[in-house]
Amino acid sequence: MAGWPAETKYIGHSTLRIDAPEKVSGRARYSSDIQAEGWLYGMILRSKWPAAKITGINLDKALAVPGIKAAITVQDGERTVRFYGEELAAVAGMTKQACLDALRAIVVQAKALDFVVNETEGLKSDSAQVWEGSPNASNPKPREKGDVDTAFNECAAVSEGFYHTPVQIHNPMETAGSTISWTDDGITAWVSTQGIFGSRDALASSLKVDQDKVRVLCDFMGGGFGAKFPPILESVLAARLSKETNAPVRLMLTRFDQALAVGNRPSSFQKIKIGATADGMLHAFDLDNYGTGGIGSGGSSAGGGSGVMLAMPYIYEVPNSRVKQAVVNINAGAARAFRAPGHPPTSFGMESAMDDLAAKLGIDPVEFRLKNDPGEIRQREYKAGIERFGWKDKYKKPGSSPGVVKTGIGCAGAAWPAGGANRRTQGEAQINPDGTIEVRLGVQDLGTGTKTVIAVVAAEILGLKPEQISVKVGDTRFPPGPGSGGSTTCASISPTVYDVCSKALEQIQTQTGVADARGANWFDACKKLGVNPLVVHGQWQAGMSSDHACGVQFAEVDVDTETGLVTVKKICCVQDCGLIVNKNTLESQINGGIIMGMGYALYEERVMDDLSGVVLNPNFETYKVSGIADVPDIDILLINMPERGVIGIGEPATVPTAAAIGNAVFNAIGVRVGSLPITPAKVLAALGKVPAPTKS
Amino acid sequence: MKAFEYATALSTDSAQQLAADNGQYLAGGNDLLGVLKEYLIEAKILVNIKSLLGLNKIETGKTWKIGALVTVAEIENSAEIKKTFPGLQAAASEVGSQQIRNVATVGGNLSQHSRCWYFRHRDTVCLKKHGDLCYARNGENRYHSLFTGKSNTCISPVVSNLATAFASLDTTVVVLREGKETPMTITELYQTAFDDPYAHNSLKPGDLILRVEIPTTHTSSSYMQVSDKHAFDWALVSCAAAGKVSGGKISHPRVALGCISPMPHQVKAANDFLDGKTLDEATVSQVADMILQGAEILEHNGYKVPIAHALIRRTLLALKG
Repeated sequence: MAGWPAETKYIGHSTLRIDAPEKVSGRARYSSDIQAEGWLYGMILRSKWPAAKITGINLDKALAVPGIKAAITVQDGERTVRFYGEELAAVAGMTKQACLDALRAIVVQAKALDFVVNETEGLKSDSAQVWEGSPNASNPKPREKGDVDTAFNECAAVSEGFYHTPVQIHNPMETAGSTISWTDDGITAWVSTQGIFGSRDALASSLKVDQDKVRVLCDFMGGGFGAKFPPILESVLAARLSKETNAPVRLMLTRFDQALAVGNRPSSFQKIKIGATADGMLHAFDLDNYGTGGIGSGGSSAGGGSGVMLAMPYIYEVPNSRVKQAVVNINAGAARAFRAPGHPPTSFGMESAMDDLAAKLGIDPVEFRLKNDPGEIRQREYKAGIERFGWKDKYKKPGSSPGVVKTGIGCAGAAWPAGGANRRTQGEAQINPDGTIEVRLGVQDLGTGTKTVIAVVAAEILGLKPEQISVKVGDTRFPPGPGSGGSTTCASISPTVYDVCSKALEQIQTQTGVADARGANWFDACKKLGVNPLVVHGQWQAGMSSDHACGVQFAEVDVDTETGLVTVKKICCVQDCGLIVNKNTLESQINGGIIMGMGYALYEERVMDDLSGVVLNPNFETYKVSGIADVPDIDILLINMPERGVIGIGEPATVPTAAAIGNAVFNAIGVRVGSLPITPAKVLAALGKVPAPTKS
Repeated sequence: MKAFEYATALSTDSAQQLAADNGQYLAGGNDLLGVLKEYLIEAKILVNIKSLLGLNKIETGKTWKIGALVTVAEIENSAEIKKTFPGLQAAASEVGSQQIRNVATVGGNLSQHSRCWYFRHRDTVCLKKHGDLCYARNGENRYHSLFTGKSNTCISPVVSNLATAFASLDTTVVVLREGKETPMTITELYQTAFDDPYAHNSLKPGDLILRVEIPTTHTSSSYMQVSDKHAFDWALVSCAAAGKVSGGKISHPRVALGCISPMPHQVKAANDFLDGKTLDEATVSQVADMILQGAEILEHNGYKVPIAHALIRRTLLALKG
């Protein structure tokens, strides 16, 4: 693609993270590490009721707790809370324990209301209404293409299945929150955020402060995955507490808080009927789905882009299809964008149905996909993966693996039609006479390697080494960069850094008369700059990035048919992402996507209690995430497509993992476990080994 | 957590005196700090017992004595224990994470509080917390018991891995009660939890576990568990088996299961039936049927029956070496 050099020293190769020494030595300062002079702890009081009318909040006793400097309510006057964990009040104090004591001292007067925390109950017309006067379930018109009912009669094989994905809770390593200092000069906010400029603007508008009086900083960040975009209620509360106390306030959520109110992936309950003609071509598809994003898009802590609706029949073209879906509100924390919103549940439903149909047709699942998947890149990836994974040698008919511990393989494909770039991304470079160079972008590094990508591109253009580039991000005083969502960061910043550095090179050469200032000539050229450093501005350039990454994954599992335990032995991922910028951080992104996808497949699930309305597993003891002992051999085959320019990869890599694992389990035991997570309990139930409850 | 006093005990007697007035013993702290921080229990004083002499020793002999302060990691890493009581070593190796095992003690592992997610939740007042009802019985009971006492409506199971292994090894737990060394079987140590919904075990306030005593009668032992995850996860079901195996025949057989009852689940009739028999698939399967007979299956915990059945068979067959 235009611009990118064909021969490269760093682009497309592996550069270690430039900030690795800071991270492994603990010198890296995350928002949760900021200890601003005189800082106080901040904490949030949350609703103990899944639904209630709040008639009064008395803060007097909290204010009397030794060490407490401020206590505020989130909202004045009577209000209705709609989920367990909704924010009611906040306190700031000298110690964590003082804050905990103060939260317990706040007196809340409330009248409990009826509630519903279960999607299937919420669907019923007589269930308690989450939003007064409006039914819990939306009732949109089904979308139909062709003539589905007739088409099913024309099919040689039809499969009907029920596929369920649970609510997945956002659990980045670093919980949501910030440290905020609000003085007469303005607001300085160290926010764990996916968008420093969005956070700045949200703080300014919520607090009625001019945007130029708000500075948001985020030097290091411990993951976001879609949950850390504004609105940022916890930051607004921290700022209000800071103003009230004249001190910086650090308000980072606890792991318990994190499970309740700062985002999750919606659930799905997918009834799918799918049919193919005798030649193995998809012919008819029917989906009836519902799911919940909690209380929905209302409420002060809800984020956008949560997506209960599934883009079905996903990556396949089916001439006759009907899709009926409903969004069900329940009394639970709102959904937020979650790594490839909508895609993992869509992939799980569709790809499971594909394998169930392939089994009815007696076709190898990869062959079935090669026949029906219109994606040219995925076609290429499946073919490469068949060889790399050894599909043909490993494949056995579903359920034909011998013995107690059965092996199975499965596959699934991904699409990430979002992606692309933020075309307004800007950046600058300051080149000093001693040859040092600082590249500054108002972007944030979520932990994905953004800083390293900047160093790699700059080093490539300037003929320097990546470690010679001083990279500065995470400050709203720098030229504006993209919010990090939709896997757009890499495609936004790479062309920008290219432009900044190309212009810098051109200017230094013009200014100093050095014909080629790159590499060996760099320091001599810089010396000739004289006293003033050179500052060069640049921006995103068209034609150097694109969108629509694909990717396919293959999974190999062991299933113990007596205990139900699933062990993932191997995941083989064949992934394109356009031009590869930095190979090892790219592979890290893919590893992370697969490990997260495996958690979705086997372990993660928010459990709500119907009777009390609480989240029963607001901790890592019973909200189970993949641990190192669970992680399989991950084999990544990268398809470098420099002609497409840079494409982000954070999201597509997590899309097909759960579906591939689910299909491998089906292949091993010959029966479908249609519900995630695939626990021992569900495997044994699918095998018909679980005795019925005792009648009491 | 609420404020408390803190004292370090220099003798078991002074430990007991210090803890007499609503005190709690502090050793590894894994369980204690958790329940204190969640306001699930209150203590007026924490009595640090980590420096008590003699409680951190492993004494070998015809009967082994393992002090209450011996860590789970020490059991896991002891080559002698692995040789003499492989079931106990395996049970220790599956406790929590390496970091937890490094500080967790035998006494603490045996006396930990219920892990029921209703009990542990800060905003549910379940029966165990003197509320009106057991939420789990008709609620989310996937991790709960298959066997409970008649008058008992708390269904949270014992989750101590070590208790399961100790039960299979006919271990005696020596408890200092009102200044007197009181021997208890594992069943006796948990019987009260089986009968009384408010109890986590049979220990009374001030009781201090001093050591466990394991006879060497059982020359073969094994332990296995199944969890949702491959490490750092509670067992869904755990099972320990022990006995003396000679010429393929077993004598003094013992099977104990964890996580399916408020106390390690043992069935004497099954042990008696197995005594003197050859360990083969048909026999161990029959034993498993006997042990699991009468399970009261709730809405979400029926899967524990086939897992328990498999683990009984596998741990017994593993005794053949």
